[in-house]
Amino acid sequence: MTEAPESALQLRGVTVRFGERTALQDVDLEVPRGQFVALTGPNGSGKTTLLRAALGFLIPQAGSVQVFGSDVRRLSIAERARRVAWVAQEENPRENALLLDYVLYGRYAHLGWLQGESARDRDGALRALRAVGLEERAGDGILSVSGGEKQRAILARALVQEAPLVLLDEPTSHLDIAHQLDFLTRVRELSRERGVTVVSALHDLNLAARFSDRIVVLSRGRRVADGAPADVLSEELLARVWGVVADLRRDPRTGAPYLLPHHLVPPSTAGPATFLGKGPVHVVGGGGSGAPYLRALAEAGYRVTAGALHLLDSDLETAESLGALTAVEVPFAPIGDEVRERLRTFLEAATAIVVAPFPVGPSNLPNLEEVRRRLGQVPILLVRRAPGVEWDFTGGEASALEEELRHGGARSVDGTDEMLAALAAGPVAPPAQ
Amino acid sequence: MGVTVAPPPRTARAPGRRSWVLGVLLATLGVAVFFSPILGTVAVPPETVLRILLHQVSGGTLFSDPCAGGSVPASGCAGLIEIVWDARLSEIMLAVVVGAGLGISGGTLQGVFRNPLADPFLLGISSGGTLGAAVVVVFRIGVSEQNLVLPLFAFVGAIGTGAVILVAARSRFGSVETLLLTGVALSSFLSAVLALLLLYSPAGSLQVDFWLLGNLGSLDWTQDGIAFGVVLVAGTLLATYGRELNLLQLGPDVAQSLGVDSRKVRVRLLLLASVTTAAAVAFTGIIGFVGLVSPHVVRRIAGSDYRIVLPGAALVGGGFLLAARDLSLVAFPGTLLPIGIFTSFAGAPFFAYLLFRRRGASTMGVP
Repeated sequence: MTEAPESALQLRGVTVRFGERTALQDVDLEVPRGQFVALTGPNGSGKTTLLRAALGFLIPQAGSVQVFGSDVRRLSIAERARRVAWVAQEENPRENALLLDYVLYGRYAHLGWLQGESARDRDGALRALRAVGLEERAGDGILSVSGGEKQRAILARALVQEAPLVLLDEPTSHLDIAHQLDFLTRVRELSRERGVTVVSALHDLNLAARFSDRIVVLSRGRRVADGAPADVLSEELLARVWGVVADLRRDPRTGAPYLLPHHLVPPSTAGPATFLGKGPVHVVGGGGSGAPYLRALAEAGYRVTAGALHLLDSDLETAESLGALTAVEVPFAPIGDEVRERLRTFLEAATAIVVAPFPVGPSNLPNLEEVRRRLGQVPILLVRRAPGVEWDFTGGEASALEEELRHGGARSVDGTDEMLAALAAGPVAPPAQ
Repeated sequence: MGVTVAPPPRTARAPGRRSWVLGVLLATLGVAVFFSPILGTVAVPPETVLRILLHQVSGGTLFSDPCAGGSVPASGCAGLIEIVWDARLSEIMLAVVVGAGLGISGGTLQGVFRNPLADPFLLGISSGGTLGAAVVVVFRIGVSEQNLVLPLFAFVGAIGTGAVILVAARSRFGSVETLLLTGVALSSFLSAVLALLLLYSPAGSLQVDFWLLGNLGSLDWTQDGIAFGVVLVAGTLLATYGRELNLLQLGPDVAQSLGVDSRKVRVRLLLLASVTTAAAVAFTGIIGFVGLVSPHVVRRIAGSDYRIVLPGAALVGGGFLLAARDLSLVAFPGTLLPIGIFTSFAGAPFFAYLLFRRRGASTMGVP
């Protein structure tokens, strides 16, 4: 208590149970001063419980909670309020207090019995309102402002509370996207300017990654991941903790990682070994012929790769929107060596290859040549071409290659359903030669 | 001060703190108290009444013969003084004290339960207190010390009812609706018990209407003093909780995070409100709707800050009950009807108004 403790919040072995249900299980967490920590995890993972334990609102069955070196349960309610401020998901005030008064409520723990707010308190409240961009509305009633303004007023109240640790419980879940960004930007600025430690439960992983210094992931009451956003967020984590298949990208402007969710991990494949989806399956296409097959595969939970495709090809757009890795050549040029090399690595990694009914010319003929190299080593599905549609612009070379594939064991399929059925039938045994 | 921050703009939607309203209310009430003795069941000339009041207030130095010039009854001037000073003024003071107690209790209950419809009458606390007092009368408990025993039993009845409501509010069904329904059920039940007790009392049938409709008659200064003392002490204590009540409006958890011991404060406030209500109803019986209406009137004119709402509700409540007494005498000269009739007459439509308006906005007072 005498030496300045380094950590703002420290949980040691905290276990909280509600009857039969365990809300937190042996959670350790140390938050150094000044850090902005995003607390995340699926619904019911224990985020709110952790915050409430940190506030001393509930008594853990085991473990200890310390704020700035003191056991939170041994602090008086007023002492605790001077150290820890709380911003709830949504407040439903029942009286139409002035915004200024609403902010002044934050001074309660600093005032003596029957002591009124001083002019200094009032100036502080007005400054806090200015800091959140609400000084114009100081004289309005809290019930007449919008949801975003209300959350900002509550943030201003937390500021005048002068607590060095601010806990926020999904503060943006009732706000639209613009207000979410605005609110969290302000929280981060205030945290940096004033050295305030922030721990915020946040559903939205992308917001968490964008604004926080550190992400702590809870799952079923346990801390399952913890670290810098770039280190913590991964496709694997999302599949494991949330059961969602997603692509991890990087925001080109901020460098923050962000996740593009696709679909739930299919129940049949859910499990540690298969959570990443099946595949990868490589699709050779072009001119829009591959798009339905790419989509069907992604939808069914396969990871897909595609190429080689020319830039501006509509199949390329589809593949990228699905998060597929692609081999790309500049428009109209013959597939070069580098692209061909990339295509080869995809074909070698693929657990199956789908050849869409694409028009073949001299520039993209290498696609079929490369597929032929994998003949006998990996299942190849040839999508049957519609009769009477001209597709071979190579003077017969492409037709000969397809014929060769068919005879070498490539299986003909008709449409996406047949393709999926053939893939689900298991690794089609390479044809006996 | 010396700070360049401009004062925040005030808008009509949310009146700011208006402490001056309390001064205006207090002055108005004082004037009303002074002139109310003019009205009474026996006709006394207004000038005589005012002369008697000034004579009494000045300790006999002013108007050595206050009855001079008017028609003096057989009992002489002393008789008139007794009517004006002892009967009327004690009745008036009781009206003010009871109204103030009910008003501040109503304001407190609305704040504790975060519900604009909370009121000692609707929640059954008044019935509980009255039942306690009636038990003393019916069973002739401590006849010689009745002025002390009566409020004591009233406290027990009121606090008991308050405890039941607290338990109901804390249960997992403790929604606003549960709370009100519990209160209404308690209120009807206790009133029924009270009526039964009075009708079949061992002392013979007592005035049921006196207890169920509230009455200011047949009082003395001792009762005034007891009611006044308790209401003053408990009411003053209640008024010191204005800030805590403000914070409780954000919800018990938020209030706690800001430094209010929500649980302790709510229990204390409910206890104090019950005591205040008990003191108010012990000598007068059930008087409805004063506690409901008064805080809302204050909110309308002075905003929703409980530091103003609580003392304001006391002043408005006192004025409301006094006005009810005066209007009763104007409307039906010569008789003092049970005062509860008048308060219910004004209060019930107001209750309906709040109930229907509440569907639109969840605001408690000022829309």
